[in-house]
Amino acid sequence: MKVTFPHMGNVYLAAKALLDGLGIDYVIPPKNNKEALDIGTLHSPEEMCLPFKLMIGNYVQAIQKGADTIIIVGSCGPCRFGEYCELQMNLMKNLGYDLNFIVIDYPKDIGIKELYRRISQVSSKSNRKTYEKLKALSNSLKVIRLIDEIEEAAHMFAGYERNKGDCKHILNECKEEASKCRTSKEMINLLIEYKEKIKHVPIDINKNPLKIAVIGEIYTVIESYTNFSIEDKLMGYGVSSHRGLTPSWWVKNALLSPLKINSLAIRRNAKKYLPLQIGGHAIECVGEAVTASKEGYDGAIQIFPMGCMPEIVSKSILPTISKDLDFPVMSLVVDDMTGEAGYITRIEAFIDLLERRRESVLFRC
Amino acid sequence: MKVGIPKGLLYYKYHPFLITFFKELGADVVVSEDTNKKILDLGVKYAVDEACLPIKIFHGHAVALRDKCDIIVIPRIMQIKKNEYICPKFCGLPEMVTNSIENMPLSITEPIYTFTKKRLYRWAKSAGKKVTGNEFKIKHAFLKAYEGQLNYNAGILDENYDIKIALVGHPYNIYDNFVNMNLVNKLNKLGVGVETMEFTHELLISLEINNLYKRPFWTFARENYGFAVNASKEKRVDGIIYISSFNCGIDSVIIELIKDKVGSFPFLTLKVDEHTGEAGIDTRIEAFTDMLERRIVNESNIPTHG
Ligand code: SF4
Ligand code: SF4
Repeated sequence: MKVTFPHMGNVYLAAKALLDGLGIDYVIPPKNNKEALDIGTLHSPEEMCLPFKLMIGNYVQAIQKGADTIIIVGSCGPCRFGEYCELQMNLMKNLGYDLNFIVIDYPKDIGIKELYRRISQVSSKSNRKTYEKLKALSNSLKVIRLIDEIEEAAHMFAGYERNKGDCKHILNECKEEASKCRTSKEMINLLIEYKEKIKHVPIDINKNPLKIAVIGEIYTVIESYTNFSIEDKLMGYGVSSHRGLTPSWWVKNALLSPLKINSLAIRRNAKKYLPLQIGGHAIECVGEAVTASKEGYDGAIQIFPMGCMPEIVSKSILPTISKDLDFPVMSLVVDDMTGEAGYITRIEAFIDLLERRRESVLFRC
Repeated sequence: MKVGIPKGLLYYKYHPFLITFFKELGADVVVSEDTNKKILDLGVKYAVDEACLPIKIFHGHAVALRDKCDIIVIPRIMQIKKNEYICPKFCGLPEMVTNSIENMPLSITEPIYTFTKKRLYRWAKSAGKKVTGNEFKIKHAFLKAYEGQLNYNAGILDENYDIKIALVGHPYNIYDNFVNMNLVNKLNKLGVGVETMEFTHELLISLEINNLYKRPFWTFARENYGFAVNASKEKRVDGIIYISSFNCGIDSVIIELIKDKVGSFPFLTLKVDEHTGEAGIDTRIEAFTDMLERRIVNESNIPTHG
């Protein structure tokens, strides 16, 4: 058995740590790339959302490198993501691949027994002792938390750094090095080291950079390939940015949601504009826009794939928030045809707008 | 008091309930006109660009009613069946409408759960309060409306046609004749009879669903899938026509599931949006009908083995 899994941002680092810890053979699909997208677009139904297409691309490229088992996370929210597994299984079968799909779902939907059976399909292939397996799991959670923290810090400090490019450089180097680690222990030590590094980047506290919140559909905000590395670009412009949706947020949210104590502040802030859960992460999108405005951000950028149902609802609400709170929000819709040039022009125009707003405010005082 | 009811989305399924309920409460019920070019244009103008056609049309109806009523019903239908949903856009419909259209009158947006009478009554109580203070009247109106809905049978089941097709899709695409450009009429004229999903028993639908790895959690996905697969399997129909709106995330999934299951069984997808031309639709259904005719002739020529 050689397992693989679809990409989403830095999740592959955590998955690597887990599988290394379990001693299970795996293939990491090549990072999202043009070819993966082309493969996915060719084989997927035309109107499937972008994440679906890239995932198909990941599978095919991983299979070329020997993978025969695919692990995915299902979820029973009122959105398409929950249906992915069935369609993807059919699709891959029709393409002639003989694969084993392991779908990790919430126990409330499939029952705890079934969940256990599915997990043991993987874990039984590991010859490690139970406590070692648990250790591997907790290490992988540690990895994802660390890398999310490093990323968050890099995005924020980029606006304050003294030597232009420091943060971006450290972040990229960190990811590069982490993917080379052979054991989860080694990876954790490396990440801790980089966390220190990023904390000690020389910064100028007196700078007052533009601050932008990145909000929207979870896959397209996290997976930099789909958003043309917007966060890297913002770092390059010397803009500080923040994104609330991260893999570690997702894990925490999934664990806490049965108790309904997840993301309380966000939901409180969203309430006036969107009182109910509608599926996907629309509440988070709306709530984060309100939060960002309260916390003194200059603006927000919403990103979502073409046809994304929950985010279309958020997009209709955002103009009202923008008007009520005098807070600029720009929406970017991405799909397999989006051209990078037009996209960058829009981001630059938005940054210009935010800068001009600041100047005119200063002028008024 | 004038209560406005937009003739869009699930109006086509639930109008007996909605109209009776508000009439019995003593309100003046104003229903927007049938969808037409003007309504469509209003919808396109007001709704967010990325929205699908049915949502845009609903916006159009809401604009048309804006100055004609004191309070407008924007049904936030959350769940029809337990553990199933309809579409994220239904849950957020009131937000979409009220944020995209200025100067809307007061609106009734309480969440609607219809899977038990009790849950639905909860909606009736809070919605009714906006019209009358008389609780007895609300209860009475609710019971009448509920009964009216039960006695209402939607659905198309044509008999005496040589060719028959299963017409599949969301109710607002099947029953809004402006959206589907009189599809049923056209098919009938071509000598094709139509059957819709209302006549397939819930049990048969569940049987088909159980063959799936994962139970779809959208009500219309479940029903449409179960109906289409069952009708084709039992040869009640000669082909399937799926009418869908561009950019409908739900349809894109159901269509794939059905296609995968029925294999080479004749299947035609008609996609509509505000730019769809009638001529194109006509050509496609004519070609599909021709194909079905040829298949039927061929099949009757081939001797059956075994
Ligand atoms: S939230 Fe958007 S991108 Fe995600 S499954 Fe739903 S429609 Fe697709
Ligand atoms: S189910 Fe499809 S057509 Fe209906 S509102 Fe949702 S996206 Fe639009």
